[in-house]
Amino acid sequence: MNFLQVIAKRLVGMALVITIASFLLSCLMWQLPGDPAQLIAGGAPEGVVSAIRVEVGLDRGVFGFFWHWFSGLLSGDFGKYYLNGGTRDVLEVIKATLPVSLQLILYAQIVALSFAIPLGLISAYKENSRFDRIVSSTLFTLVSFPSFALALIMSLIFAVKLGWVDPIGYVKPSENLGQHFKLMVLPVISIAVGLTSSYTRLLRTDVIATLKEDYVTMAASKGISNKRVLWFHVFRPSSTTLLTSAALNMGGLIGGTIVIETIFVIPGIGYEVFYSIGARQVIAMQTLILLISFAYVFFNTIVDLLTNAIDPRTRERRG
Amino acid sequence: MKTRKSRPVGFYLAGSWLGLMVFIGLFGWILPLPQWDEAFFDDLGVGPFSPRHLLGTTQDGYDMLAGLVNGARLSVFISFASVLIGGGIGALIGITAAYFRGKYDLIVVSIFNILLSIPNLVLSLALLSVFAYSDADNPASTNRRVMVLIASLIIVIIPILGRISRGSALQWTNREFVLASKSMGTKSFTIIFKHILPNVAPAILSIGFLAIGSVIIVEGSLSILGIGIPGGASWGSMLANGRGNIAYSPHEVYLPALFIALTVISSNWFGDYVRSSLDKRESKI
Repeated sequence: MNFLQVIAKRLVGMALVITIASFLLSCLMWQLPGDPAQLIAGGAPEGVVSAIRVEVGLDRGVFGFFWHWFSGLLSGDFGKYYLNGGTRDVLEVIKATLPVSLQLILYAQIVALSFAIPLGLISAYKENSRFDRIVSSTLFTLVSFPSFALALIMSLIFAVKLGWVDPIGYVKPSENLGQHFKLMVLPVISIAVGLTSSYTRLLRTDVIATLKEDYVTMAASKGISNKRVLWFHVFRPSSTTLLTSAALNMGGLIGGTIVIETIFVIPGIGYEVFYSIGARQVIAMQTLILLISFAYVFFNTIVDLLTNAIDPRTRERRG
Repeated sequence: MKTRKSRPVGFYLAGSWLGLMVFIGLFGWILPLPQWDEAFFDDLGVGPFSPRHLLGTTQDGYDMLAGLVNGARLSVFISFASVLIGGGIGALIGITAAYFRGKYDLIVVSIFNILLSIPNLVLSLALLSVFAYSDADNPASTNRRVMVLIASLIIVIIPILGRISRGSALQWTNREFVLASKSMGTKSFTIIFKHILPNVAPAILSIGFLAIGSVIIVEGSLSILGIGIPGGASWGSMLANGRGNIAYSPHEVYLPALFIALTVISSNWFGDYVRSSLDKRESKI
């Protein structure tokens, strides 16, 4: 099959999945007990409730409701929050919160990769040594340590007992860079620990396989230093799985930071999901959940297509 | 693939912790402990190893040990029920899809893809906030919340385990012995249960143990987000309640966190052991 056709097929598939998932979301919201319009309005008088009902299309049956919201999304109208008489565009909220989440995710990825790459390389190079065994079993334990438990225990030790950092809060990097990083330390570590463990394990496996290749023996026998062989001859061919997984995590983490953002009160997209559920903002909830799913599916598809393009061996695996 | 060396010590530790948790989950009510929701107003927020309360009390005077034992009951029940039911349904759908292929397979795979397009936590969040809807006027009862939580976790687990069982069943549906039984006219039902299921079962089992860990994490996360089990009835809920008192009685946070972490680590270790013993079996062939 032509590669362009593959791309087109995957994109159409992605669009279908997203559309059906959004319809299911609308059906789910339709199931809310009582009157969703009343929930959104949050105790406002009947006139306001019926105005909202018409505005969000709740008066047109579940299909009308879905289409009103979904066609709005396609034309750039992301819906509104209805708060004590006023409204706020969901799009504005996304614009304000998405960068915060992306900062958090980016830092966590950088921290995770900068620990995982050396750890993975060394433990693979010294396979079955004491170092390798300690690193492997520590990481295996850490990967199963729930991030929220880690977050709470760390904030207990470093924020409450030692008072090194504030337990909660967020400062924009443009306002106070030092404070920004200081507040980001605990949430970033909470997310990065799990990532580091899985990245190290992936890299270690691949490096062990690469070290057995003939060209590595060749390079070593030419007298190139071990360090150079590891970095230049082994690391690059072994890093594809690692990079794929890191890219996939970008999509998954956009919604996956909800709990950490809530614990540390970081105004990111996850915190906003938490808030919109608490405030019964049905439309905002739908839009945010869809955005998170879209990011997830989008990254999956792109990564899949990229590996397809880079490594033709993966192209024909159907079944 | 790297094969992990089996670690007898870690395996026994993990097994005994899981066994202990299941035991106190089932028979915890026999233990001579106070009621988990009985407040001791003479001992508010005492630390661990105080004379009357082995693991201390919360700021509201609830006994921590009784709470943790009761939490084990709920957490074990929620995780086993949802993984067993969800995994069972998922495995059945996945294996039959791999066996029959065709339109049925296509529909199943599309449904799995749609469900998997929404991240687990977000999906259970959405399901729970709709079906266990409660507000100050008519709060949903704890039982209803538990049932809805299990139901939404089942919906989340079905596609995950379904896809894995479909994937591993695909490796077996075209093997010679399956083709041989087919050509002898064996019923599909018999082939699936006698020939394919036993081969796929170890893979499903090891993922099942991982899923138990993940379910406990999701339960805790949902409690922290305020839409899980209310009132300190589960570990996650104790953790969520204790968060506000972290400065005064830190054991309210670290004890449930420790129980959650140990249980998750144990079930992951157990799952890993199951997988590595499976690897050994495969390599012998």
